[in-house]
Amino acid sequence: MNKPFTAVLLVAALCLGAAVTPAEAKNSIQIKGSDTMVNLGQAWAEAFNRIRPEVNVAVTGGGSGTGIAALLSGTCDICESSRAMEPRELKVAEAKGIAPKQEIVALDGIAVVVHPANPVKDMTIDQLRGIFMGDIKNWKDVGGKNIPIVILSREVNSGTHLFFKEHVLRRGVAKGPEEFSPFALLMPSSQAIADEVTNNENAIGYYGMGYISPAQKVIAVAKDASSPFVKPTIENVKANTYPISRPLYIFTNGEPKGVIRDFMDFAFSKEGQEIVRKTDFVPVR
Amino acid sequence: MTNLTVNLKEKIGFGALFLATMAVVVPVLCIIWLIVTRGWSAISWEFLFTMPRDGMRAGGIFPAIVGTFYLVLGSVAFSLPVGVMAAIYLNEYAKDNFLTRMINLAIINLSGVSSVVYGLFGLSLFVVFFRFGVSIISGSLTLGIMTLPVIITTTREALRAVPKPFREVSFSLGTTRWQTIRHAVLPFALPGILTGAILSIGRAAGETAPILFTVAAFYLPNLPNSPFDQAMALPYHLYIISTQIPNIRLDYRYGTALVLVGFVLIMNISAIVVRSKFRKKRW
Repeated sequence: MNKPFTAVLLVAALCLGAAVTPAEAKNSIQIKGSDTMVNLGQAWAEAFNRIRPEVNVAVTGGGSGTGIAALLSGTCDICESSRAMEPRELKVAEAKGIAPKQEIVALDGIAVVVHPANPVKDMTIDQLRGIFMGDIKNWKDVGGKNIPIVILSREVNSGTHLFFKEHVLRRGVAKGPEEFSPFALLMPSSQAIADEVTNNENAIGYYGMGYISPAQKVIAVAKDASSPFVKPTIENVKANTYPISRPLYIFTNGEPKGVIRDFMDFAFSKEGQEIVRKTDFVPVR
Repeated sequence: MTNLTVNLKEKIGFGALFLATMAVVVPVLCIIWLIVTRGWSAISWEFLFTMPRDGMRAGGIFPAIVGTFYLVLGSVAFSLPVGVMAAIYLNEYAKDNFLTRMINLAIINLSGVSSVVYGLFGLSLFVVFFRFGVSIISGSLTLGIMTLPVIITTTREALRAVPKPFREVSFSLGTTRWQTIRHAVLPFALPGILTGAILSIGRAAGETAPILFTVAAFYLPNLPNSPFDQAMALPYHLYIISTQIPNIRLDYRYGTALVLVGFVLIMNISAIVVRSKFRKKRW
């Protein structure tokens, strides 16, 4: 009796909600989006608050997809995203009269990590592809011990997941047929991947450079067999020698105004870009 | 000889029952022990009463504590009056007909709905439809609706436990139904009602899913200053510092868990105290 009623109400509310336009916020900024960038947004908000204590900057994570959906439904002012908007999303934006403005605010390298006791220290993109698609099943095939490989991936709402799939599994072809191995474990967060890799000698996983810690071993990656193995460091991502790196975006609805403009200026300022570096991403200015 | 085997059988039987009881108690004790030993070192004045710093790796969890306090206050302010009134109606006024049975069914269903469904419900109703936005008021109302069945059920049990003669004597003095409820029933049901309210506070304080979409913020530099602001909250804060913040000190996670568990434990213990105190004064 109750559940169908709830369901009806839910659907009705969602339909009506689609027509709701964003309320004009004055002294508050809503930032929503990528879990990779949420710590960066938090650090900006914390520092911005020291300069402009009267402005309330609320930071929320949830994933790039969540942030873009929020921008499109008018429930956030700034969307942090670790991927560009898809044509499907742009179409929705157009239909709702929202003009997403894209800025690249930082660069990110995706680190491939294994347990510190794992003897493997470098791999080619092809080897990574073989492992994450499930074709290479044992560490001995890539120069490690004779133990099975446990694949850790992020869940599908994650921008990191999509980027890794497109640039490693599909070698840059966005709509390629390749998929992660069905045996890959889908982890809810980058920190969950870090924790599992720390404790599991069989595991291999990937996360944004910001998560690199001595408790996991970072793999040096080569574009192909004839290229040098490169570690995900700020210098290497900037020099574009590390093969798995990506831009990090900020979207606003149209040209940012008022306090949102001030916040964006701060993000691109010397101090804002220093924060980018401190949260282990690569500054763009 | 037969006596001996009967005795033995009984001993084995009681042993099994005792083991089953222990199986309930041991995990609780283990959890508390684990959280206290690992989290105690984080607890300090600064941890409890300052804002987070350095990417939430230092400083305190004050905004999360304040947020949880507001949410609990808001949810009880909504669910206690509504729940108690509904329970009084159902127990004292309603006839046992089809509608009443359907309402009962709805309440049972409500208490079985998983908390994430309440979160989505709150998102679509309060956040989007009523345009409250992601705010304390949306979160409070969502939590309030989630705790309604607890309050209704405990209040009804409390009303039902008041002996029938109390009402009959009151009616025989020529009082109205409401006068009877007000003076001859409610005072004696109060401890039960309070228990329900306090248990629902514990539930509201500890839930993550209903606040996920309706109120919780990853980070806020200032405390909320209106019901339409977002807030941080303890369970969600614990979730994000465990999943999103790299290289955070372990005792910060466990310290946050300790504050949350401590909050709920204090609530539950005060429920027991209130109950036993009022019970002594009973008829």
